[in-house]
Amino acid sequence: MKTINLVVDDKTITVPEGTNIFQASLDNGIYIPGLCYHPKLSQFGGCRLCMVEVTERRTAHRFACAHPVSEGMIVKVNTPKVVRYRRSVMEYLLAHHELSCPTCDKAGECSLQDITHELMLSPSRFNAVRMNAPVVRDNPILELNRNRCVLCGRCVSACKEIEGVGAIDFQKRGIKTYVGTAFDKPLDCSFCGGCLAVCPTGSWQDRTLEFRGRPWEFKKTQTICPYCAVGCTIVLNTKSGSVRRVTSDDYIGINEGNLCIKGRFGHEFIHSAERLKTPLIKKDGAFHPSSWDDALEYISKRFQQIINEHGGKAIGGIGSEKCTNEDNYLFQKFCRSVLRTNTIDNLSNLRSPSLNSLMYESVIRGIASTSLKEIEHANTLFFFGTDMTEAHPVAGTMARKAIRMNNASLIIANIRTISFSGTAKNDIRLTYSFGSQIPFIHALIKIIIDEKLIDLKKAESSISNFHELPLAFDTFSVKEASQVTGISEEMMRTTARLLTKSGNCCIVCGRDVEEDPLSRDTIKALMNLCVLMNASSPDTGHSKASLLFSRSHNNSQGVNDMGVVPEFFPGYSTTSDVSNRENIEKQWGVKFSDDIFMRESKNIFELARNGALKGLYIMGENPLVSYPNGKEVLEAFQKTGFIVVQDVFLTETAQLADVVLPTVTFAEKEGTFTNMGMTVQRLNKIIQPSGVDAKPDWQIICEFAKKMGYSYSYASPKDILSEIESVVPIYSGINYDRLKRKEFYWASSVSGSRNKSAKYLLNIVQPESLEIKQNKDFPFVLLTGVSLNHQGTFSRYSNALVSVSPECFAEMNRKDAQKMNIHDGDAVVIESSQNKVTLKAKVTGKSPEGIVFVSEDYEWIPINLVRTGVYTPVKIYKETGQI
Amino acid sequence: MILPLLKGLILTIKRFFNPNAVVTQQYPEERPKLPSRFRGLPELQIGKDGRERCIACGLCAKVCPSKCITVEGATDKITQRRYPKVYELDAFRCIFCGFCEEACPVRAVILRDTFELSTYQNKNIFDKKQLLDLTKKRKISF
Ligand code: SF4
Ligand code: SF4
Ligand code: SF4
Ligand code: SF4
Ligand code: SF4
Ligand code: FES
Repeated sequence: MKTINLVVDDKTITVPEGTNIFQASLDNGIYIPGLCYHPKLSQFGGCRLCMVEVTERRTAHRFACAHPVSEGMIVKVNTPKVVRYRRSVMEYLLAHHELSCPTCDKAGECSLQDITHELMLSPSRFNAVRMNAPVVRDNPILELNRNRCVLCGRCVSACKEIEGVGAIDFQKRGIKTYVGTAFDKPLDCSFCGGCLAVCPTGSWQDRTLEFRGRPWEFKKTQTICPYCAVGCTIVLNTKSGSVRRVTSDDYIGINEGNLCIKGRFGHEFIHSAERLKTPLIKKDGAFHPSSWDDALEYISKRFQQIINEHGGKAIGGIGSEKCTNEDNYLFQKFCRSVLRTNTIDNLSNLRSPSLNSLMYESVIRGIASTSLKEIEHANTLFFFGTDMTEAHPVAGTMARKAIRMNNASLIIANIRTISFSGTAKNDIRLTYSFGSQIPFIHALIKIIIDEKLIDLKKAESSISNFHELPLAFDTFSVKEASQVTGISEEMMRTTARLLTKSGNCCIVCGRDVEEDPLSRDTIKALMNLCVLMNASSPDTGHSKASLLFSRSHNNSQGVNDMGVVPEFFPGYSTTSDVSNRENIEKQWGVKFSDDIFMRESKNIFELARNGALKGLYIMGENPLVSYPNGKEVLEAFQKTGFIVVQDVFLTETAQLADVVLPTVTFAEKEGTFTNMGMTVQRLNKIIQPSGVDAKPDWQIICEFAKKMGYSYSYASPKDILSEIESVVPIYSGINYDRLKRKEFYWASSVSGSRNKSAKYLLNIVQPESLEIKQNKDFPFVLLTGVSLNHQGTFSRYSNALVSVSPECFAEMNRKDAQKMNIHDGDAVVIESSQNKVTLKAKVTGKSPEGIVFVSEDYEWIPINLVRTGVYTPVKIYKETGQI
Repeated sequence: MILPLLKGLILTIKRFFNPNAVVTQQYPEERPKLPSRFRGLPELQIGKDGRERCIACGLCAKVCPSKCITVEGATDKITQRRYPKVYELDAFRCIFCGFCEEACPVRAVILRDTFELSTYQNKNIFDKKQLLDLTKKRKISF
């Protein structure tokens, strides 16, 4: 890139061409006052404060944020004339300003205040009328006080450019201009809080803060968001040992200061009064508080008894998608070496059993994305079976950045019509019919070959089994595929052409695909697609197309990396392989008995239902409501004699347990999380648990092990991570202290470590479609998905999130609704062969006919007790009584 | 030489028996007369609406050199007003400098003449209610 040299305030600086003076100075630590310019946003030039004296060919006054740098330019920031101008601009800005700094939560970090102070503005010469506009408090999260607004337009741009929502804009004109929603309707947006984060003044207020502290009183510590798998860095603002608000920092973390509603406003659960306060032991059907020592003593005695009577095999363990890598590593080590069982699993693996091996395969073959940032650098984005906005909001923001900066094309394919705000120049939204994902991918492959969209010669030479391809596609026709998928042939052709356009392509494989019964073949088909696209591009060691696998929770990736699955030891070394076993035995100094690796079933709940498990140890999960078949879990629990649950709240699962152990939240512990881009990031301990006698999971396990007669000598998660570093090959090179400064990308070091030919190998599958048997009694299919506002147990204890979206809806197609005379807001009953629930209907055009969509993330709605599997046949009828 | 001595003695004796010249105050029977600028305990003032004037801006806490003020703001759910949910003043640590009075933008803290602060406990923290009660007793509000 061409660089430019210029002089700002006697300092010579070098910046890339096309930068504006403001950004150039900012990057070089020279301060220019300004309210409307923000590095993340497009430049607006509305506040007029950033006037500087610029000498190019002649000397003139320019607005720094609107003027690009040029070679040899001389900039003076503080000439007397400039300062005089700046002072009068400020005087105008302050003329209407309400100046309620003492009650304004922004005071102390307010740019307007800072500039006023810096320019030493004394009482104004103007005697203007204050606006006295009423404060808008039409939603539970954000408050808008227009009297403090300087009309800098940052919030408007943030909402439009970053979040893609455009919920707010300038209303009216001239002196009457204000920021607000169209027709002054109540704010109805995704509540990402972006406006709040960029506003230079106190117009936007965080209502979860509620005046509970002032900026200068807060201790700010960065940590990782406890909700979804994007792994945004959040900054917790604490005062006297309690979390008061969450802010973000534009310069740290993968999210560049962008957050979603959960990350920014879902922190109230940390201080929820409903947290578990002491260990609980169930006696005669009721919980009794006990001391840690008694509880652990009791558990270890019971577990020891089970081991003595039935062997360790009779104990099952469920690790957590929400706990740290250290917790999970220790959990599986404990289960395998102390309890002597290999019947351990986590919910992510239980829900999509074929994902782990395929994901690891694509990583080592160099097909998988090695970081979430690849979305940002892509030129073509293909979201397949994922609802980005709801599932990974900030990844959606990255996609919008790619669209904005790289002019990326966007392809979205899903069963439902999902909304993704932000439009690309080439923007394709497809809905394929239920179960037809493989024919769809195959059609794309076929078109690519037929139309020679890639360099076939090159592909043929680099792919050793390329010849299998024409054979497999012999009988396959795009036309048929178009009928099966319900996507027109033309559309598919356009899609294929866009995919193979030059530039990087990032394919995001969503949960809808991963949890589907046909997931194995679908993912293989996707991998084939990537192989084809990569094989024909000039091999620079850099893949053209990469595959990113969705994960749901903050550490869904890490829990699998740490081997809390029956098939793998930590780092995806298979348990069936004897040499792997020996290796681990050597490292841990134990001896496994071979029979624990051989079970009649892999599914832990199935084993339990068959009575094979006598004890169950569950760490931080609530499978009763988060496993697609709640009834099976319930039966499994009833068959299991002794259940221990370790959690922050008394969840539905914990209520069924015999012993419940209270653990701490993310703010109260340290460790590492791995996001879905395989980036390991460090969590910081920010506060002490207050009012609850809770312990971090790893510590509980250590004490538990001690009671069982083993000694674990870990003093902190740091020790555990250094063991992980040596035991888990994919994490080798990780360093706990270094993580504080820089995240660790494990996939990049492993990526493409298998030999070249493996990188280009096709794994042809049959273009099957999934058929759900039509059932007269249950004519609808129940489809579940994620929700933006809720996730896991924590969100339901965060008042802000619950008040924004208190209710779960059953989304149905307009036509279906019409047939049954159901209207928006009517109470409907969804009944399956095993259970029913009553929900309010939401009639939309989003779900196709015959499908009813309900979000799973409202944990208090037992939708998973209705489900009998991934797709459940249900019937729907209008509720006649009251809800 | 004896004369000046006697002179002095006379003055001493005169003073000794003159009741008007007694400076010792019979505290606590007799209340001291304090100068108008006396700085006693900072007290919270009451506004027209009968509630505390304080708006929980925390400036007093920020300015206090001995860090003896704790302010915890909160939102009044009905009026949406900002008010101090907690306002505590550690009288042991206060040095009666009056900075808090000066910093307060709404004149909610004023150091008046409360000086009797001894206690049998090893701490002497005035909470919001106690600080307001001091003002209530004076029956002044503005
Ligand atoms: S926005 Fe800034 S200047 Fe305005 S009242 Fe708030 S703190 Fe004061
Ligand atoms: S609300 Fe804030 S960010 Fe938006 S225009 Fe006003 S001052 Fe700027
Ligand atoms: S929930 Fe996900 S997208 Fe939202 S802030 Fe947390 S990590 Fe980021
Ligand atoms: S008088 Fe001085 S020391 Fe006492 S509370 Fe006020 S600021 Fe603090
Ligand atoms: S400075 Fe005044 S208004 Fe602010 S917290 Fe202190 S007493 Fe209350
Ligand atoms: S920062 Fe340049 S006009 Fe506002």
